[in-house]
Amino acid sequence: MTATLRTWERLQHAAELADVLDAAYDAFEEMLQVIRAHEDPASELFAALLMAAASAADGRDAVAFAPSFPPYGGSVAPAVHDGLQAGESAETIAHAVAAVSRLLVARLTQAWESSTHPDDRAACADALRCAENICDLMGGGGT
Amino acid sequence: MTGRVVFGDFLDAACGHIGTADRIRGAAKDGVDLQQVNRSVLRIVVVMRRYVQDVTSGWGAEPRRGRKVLSGWAQAGVEAREALGNAAAFLNEPDTGRRHPRAAHSDLAWHLHAASTSLTAGRDLLQTHLATGPSGERQLHSEWGLVVTSPAAARTVLAEMRSLAQHVAPLGAELALAPGSRGTREARQNLNAACQWLWVLNARVSAAQRREPVRASELELLRSVPAGVPPPRRLPVRAEPVARLCQGVISSAERVRHLAWRSATRPAWSPELTVNSLRRIAATSTLTSHHCEILLRSLAVSSVSLAEQDPDGRATGLLRAADAAGRTRQGWLHIARALDRVTTDARLYLSPDAEESSDLALWTGRLAYADPEWTLASGPAHQPRPPETLAPIPADARLALSAVHYACDTLTSLGYAQREQVRAAGASQRILVTTRSLPDTMDIPRPFAPALPDRIESLVSTYNQTGRSAEDATARVAAVAAAIGSPSRVLTAARDAADPARRSEPGRGGGVARARDAGQGQRSADERQELPGPVERTLYDLGVTSPELLQRGTAIDRAGERLIIDAAAGLGPQRVRPSATTLSRSAGTATLVNHALASGDPRAAALLHGHASAEREPPEAEP
Repeated sequence: MTATLRTWERLQHAAELADVLDAAYDAFEEMLQVIRAHEDPASELFAALLMAAASAADGRDAVAFAPSFPPYGGSVAPAVHDGLQAGESAETIAHAVAAVSRLLVARLTQAWESSTHPDDRAACADALRCAENICDLMGGGGT
Repeated sequence: MTGRVVFGDFLDAACGHIGTADRIRGAAKDGVDLQQVNRSVLRIVVVMRRYVQDVTSGWGAEPRRGRKVLSGWAQAGVEAREALGNAAAFLNEPDTGRRHPRAAHSDLAWHLHAASTSLTAGRDLLQTHLATGPSGERQLHSEWGLVVTSPAAARTVLAEMRSLAQHVAPLGAELALAPGSRGTREARQNLNAACQWLWVLNARVSAAQRREPVRASELELLRSVPAGVPPPRRLPVRAEPVARLCQGVISSAERVRHLAWRSATRPAWSPELTVNSLRRIAATSTLTSHHCEILLRSLAVSSVSLAEQDPDGRATGLLRAADAAGRTRQGWLHIARALDRVTTDARLYLSPDAEESSDLALWTGRLAYADPEWTLASGPAHQPRPPETLAPIPADARLALSAVHYACDTLTSLGYAQREQVRAAGASQRILVTTRSLPDTMDIPRPFAPALPDRIESLVSTYNQTGRSAEDATARVAAVAAAIGSPSRVLTAARDAADPARRSEPGRGGGVARARDAGQGQRSADERQELPGPVERTLYDLGVTSPELLQRGTAIDRAGERLIIDAAAGLGPQRVRPSATTLSRSAGTATLVNHALASGDPRAAALLHGHASAEREPPEAEP
């Protein structure tokens, strides 16, 4: 499985809490866009993708409510990665989304552990739950 | 359909007890204690009066002259209340003053007592949908409250009270006039007089029925009113049979509809209003609509294979309903996408309606797909349930269609309830957008800002369109449900009763209701119980069987009855009437007057004069 989302690199390499939150915000937003571009009633993953989209939006908002979240993001508005065009199969999308959500779980867990502000911790915990939910809905994804 | 207790259960139980009392009357006639019977009949009359008071409380006690301006049913309601007050006054025993009379000993009195208990329980059930506000005003406690307080329900309650009076009056009068009954002359006269007032009620309500008949669908609706407590929450287990899945869908839909109704009354500041709840409902309602579409297409296929053709257009109707469910799905999907771009000040709390909307998506999914373990997170390769397993016989099709009907109806309620919440939250500036999403020219030093009004309006409009789509799908399913006699047809009657204007609107269920009523016919307003008159009865007692002689006896009785009624009606309002007990002081005159009153002619009520204490609530407690 080679398909990835463009926020993967930023999320993986973000160092400071603000950078992690900023990258997490964009990762949730990108997942949301990818899912919305591929949700099709005829798709076999229609239900799972729909529910995952709601969690992606919830996770994105949770991150944005963290006090350490930078109000002016450094990135441009995320867009669907070239490798994940609308013609991709639902399974390919599910794998890519699952992979990013697993990375989100890892990075948000670290952010939660390292943050000192209780509202940052709460925001990380809320976003973490959303990422875990997406991971579960996507069946754990592939690699 | 789901085993939930409904009002009709109690009404049927009461009628059953009265019927049993009537059947054993012959056996008990020789030894029946009239005091016990009077007490039991009083309990029935008291609870009947409370039913009538409940549905006519806003109609007032207009003076007789003012009643000319009342409509037929309003006038019947006021007169029914008066008639029951008079009946209770004759049966009341002011000397005893007991709040808890001793138990009825005879079987007959026991059955009458049991009937009053069932009627009281039925009234309590209806009252669970209502509450009293801090200023004593009536408040609705559930979505069924709109039905219970509707003019249709008032007419139907009066019609049911008339039906009860029709059964209790001849039974009580027979006992009062039976030579073998034990009791004082006063007890006999009082029981007979009370029954005469029940006949007056019958005549008054019958007159209103003739002018504006109660529809069969309205009678069915009242009987279908459930208790104000939703069915218990339940999630499907593995491999539930189709019938259980249908019942699960219906129960879940009822719960979600109730929660949606409650959510519409939430204040704008309620912390239960979160974007997470809105998103969850949008996502799960998209799925539920999708499942309804799948099920309707399966039912269409099943319908054709059952009938081997589609002569009545049922399959076509189901396919059109499926298309409408598909449009509803698209509407909810648009809402879900619109909600991606907004948030709320309160977050991450899931409201009860949002929690349980997932249940409805799960139940409908289990019914729609072949996989017995299907969940919202299910992966690839789930196939729709084969039509032949969804509805192998017509009865299964009716139940499956009921399930879809309930689900669509709930989606309609959810759409409109959510629309109102978003509108209120928007007005309170609780709908936010990220400042990242705003143009760079807007310098806002916070991560979120209130959404602009056009964004709110656009969202509200999307909810409105989706609600309309869901309503259209519901109406199309309802049309088929009415055609095949699906139990869910009461949903259409409920919406018509709650919003009478809707009934007359084309394409919004009115046509369905009219077709249904035309198909079922209406309960006859002239359900006159043909009691033998005094002459005919004497002939029977003599053992006469000649049809000619019996017909002559009937004709003489009717002529006498007409003479008495015409004379009473011609007396004029200023003439003081004798009390019911005076007029019926002998068994002979009582039989004549009873027969005239039982004719159902509303003018016969002019024979009677009300009891002096009729407006006073009798001290006898209801059961």
